[in-house]
Amino acid sequence: MKKILFTLGMLINLTVCYSQIKANEKLIYAASYNMSGLMTQLAQVSIETEMIHTSKKTFLHLSLQATTFSKWDSFFKIRDLYESYVDPTTLKPSLYKRSINEGGYVKTEKYVFKSDGVSINSTSKINKRAEINRVFTVGNTTQDVVTLLFKLRTINFNNFKIGQIKSFTIVFDEKEFPISVKYMGKEKVSAGNLGIKECYIISIAAKTNVLKGKDKNLVWLTADTKKIPVQVKFSIPVGVGQLKLSNASGI
Amino acid sequence: MRKLFIITAIVFAIIGIVFTVLPLGTIALLPIVLALVFGILAYTKSEGSQRKIPKLIVLVSALTILVAIGKELFIKDEVIVDQKFEQEKIESKEAAQKELEELDGLE
Repeated sequence: MKKILFTLGMLINLTVCYSQIKANEKLIYAASYNMSGLMTQLAQVSIETEMIHTSKKTFLHLSLQATTFSKWDSFFKIRDLYESYVDPTTLKPSLYKRSINEGGYVKTEKYVFKSDGVSINSTSKINKRAEINRVFTVGNTTQDVVTLLFKLRTINFNNFKIGQIKSFTIVFDEKEFPISVKYMGKEKVSAGNLGIKECYIISIAAKTNVLKGKDKNLVWLTADTKKIPVQVKFSIPVGVGQLKLSNASGI
Repeated sequence: MRKLFIITAIVFAIIGIVFTVLPLGTIALLPIVLALVFGILAYTKSEGSQRKIPKLIVLVSALTILVAIGKELFIKDEVIVDQKFEQEKIESKEAAQKELEELDGLE
């Protein structure tokens, strides 16, 4: 699931623009994995947004959770939660949290983005081991994987030519990864309760061994102002899989 | 050749039964159909008095196919409400709210 999320995060990016992301959105996906040539549905992935107010500021809470379908729970239970608290306008992250439970492997991680813009206070814990705290520096445009997933939706792909690439950086597992996003054109695809939608096809590549193949990690975003992620196909060292939008509300 | 067909059919039937018990969906049909095919081949290669085992393999394979298709048709992909996970989400949000307040104070 970590790899799936990482892939999702790779579908990101670009220029610092103003957010078109609304609060109270809820997108539900069915996640499938290719086993012996057939796609088998494993889990439900949901992506939600919510406005959070503190005494001085307002944050947009972006969350992504993955839950195995009940029939899989006895064999390999997944309960993953990825969250990011960002500026509602610029989508600049202040806090990132990750809590995963994948077949008994439990990991929690928290990044506090410091106000200097280039350092992160990190807290992580794996299973019952001791908590590890550290501070590390990142580039001033580096973002967490959840924020990047949403930033993808702020890009105006109408200005992109087919094959045009843009590079970015994300932080994941306390490491920075360069990401490239390539515009591949348009295609009509089924978008759950939204019907058939014309979508931008975006190819994501990362300089990491998590993703495999050239132009095999793709994201379809509706070719409208909302740019809803409708479908994701990914290729990782242990196989291929996909996410398909089944229901979108609050958009 | 008859023995080879029987052994192959039995191996695929076992794999098919295991896959049917596991939530592997239509993937389970692959080994079961192969078990059925090899079972039928073994049946055709057998004399009248030797047809008991191939007949049993074909019967078990056919029943397993029905179970696999039934599971696919009637058991829906759904997520149960996990109270522990829901509680963790609430606690995570409460903790985040406090941390964001602290960050506000530092700025």
